[in-house]
Amino acid sequence: MRIYTYAIIDSNNEITAPINGLEGIGVYNIPYRDIGIVVSEGEQIQDITQEHILKHEEVVEKLMESFTVLPVSFLTLFKKEDDVLLMMQEYYSDFRENLDRLRNKVEFGIKIIWPGETIKNRIIEASKKFNADVTIPDNSPGKSFAKEKFEKYKIDKEFAEEADRCIALLDDFFSRFITEKKLEKLKSDNLLLNAYYLVEKEKQVDFKEAFERTRSTPGDLKFLLSGPWPPYNFIVLTKNGDMFNRKPINQNLAEKNTL
Amino acid sequence: MTINRIVETDSPEAFIEEIEKIQGVLPKRINANSKNVEKGLSKLVLTLIELIRKLLEKQAMRRIDAGSLSEEEIERVGETLMKLENKMQELKGVFGVSDEELNLNLGPLGDLM
Repeated sequence: MRIYTYAIIDSNNEITAPINGLEGIGVYNIPYRDIGIVVSEGEQIQDITQEHILKHEEVVEKLMESFTVLPVSFLTLFKKEDDVLLMMQEYYSDFRENLDRLRNKVEFGIKIIWPGETIKNRIIEASKKFNADVTIPDNSPGKSFAKEKFEKYKIDKEFAEEADRCIALLDDFFSRFITEKKLEKLKSDNLLLNAYYLVEKEKQVDFKEAFERTRSTPGDLKFLLSGPWPPYNFIVLTKNGDMFNRKPINQNLAEKNTL
Repeated sequence: MTINRIVETDSPEAFIEEIEKIQGVLPKRINANSKNVEKGLSKLVLTLIELIRKLLEKQAMRRIDAGSLSEEEIERVGETLMKLENKMQELKGVFGVSDEELNLNLGPLGDLM
């Protein structure tokens, strides 16, 4: 028998509403001081399926309705309850701090696609028209190679700068309603922005409205908003906390599954 | 299945494609077992070499951009970078590692490259 973990919550009380976890087994709260960790018992999962991952996510979201949650990564298992309590003891101050900081806050994800190829081609065309500041003769293999690399470097640099300008404008608009953010630029040429925003629950409506206004602006950008999520990207542990670092598996899959 | 959450977009196909693209690049861990340990380790080593190679290349390009290299120095830098790139191609072929596989996820710090 293993103990499967879902989330740390800001309560040491029993969970009153029945929630079924993986393999249909009911979850319960293991209290530690003034917080708790929600778990279910079961044999070790043999097959990791999309259904299992989404079930884990579903449990965390149900808990989120009633508590502040620190979601634990999918497939974090303990052999016995004493091991769970030892872990809680070790991380208690980190958990307490994060629960306080993340109280009444939720996470939203915003992805923005831009026409990366078109923009890159435009930069290439422009670079052909204007004289470069630095010219490299190509009268030897070494110089030819350096010239080729340098031209690519200049194009990539201009591409990244254009992305920075575009992201700054967009992010400025969203940032008015948030408390923390994490921005990932150009994860691919087309994925201009992959952003995570921490938003106070009472500002959710304002944040979504800001998104809608931005999305309705004419242009070549494509927008995706997802949330509210548990604050996957805003848990900060002072100790190494691998059990919290596998969040994109749940989040990206759940996001993709909903599309 | 999920509750209260929304995913809003006018272009679901485009986002599915991009999510698959960025998810597909990186395994979270090196899947090392007795059968593939050699490939797992070579991938790790090649990733680090590739990182250093790219850093060297970027530094060289910055110096060219700043105009601080003479023509002779550009020649030498170009030749060195060319040899490094060719050697990397050769090693990738030997160990059967593709360009897309040369990366590491550093957890909260993001991707290595």
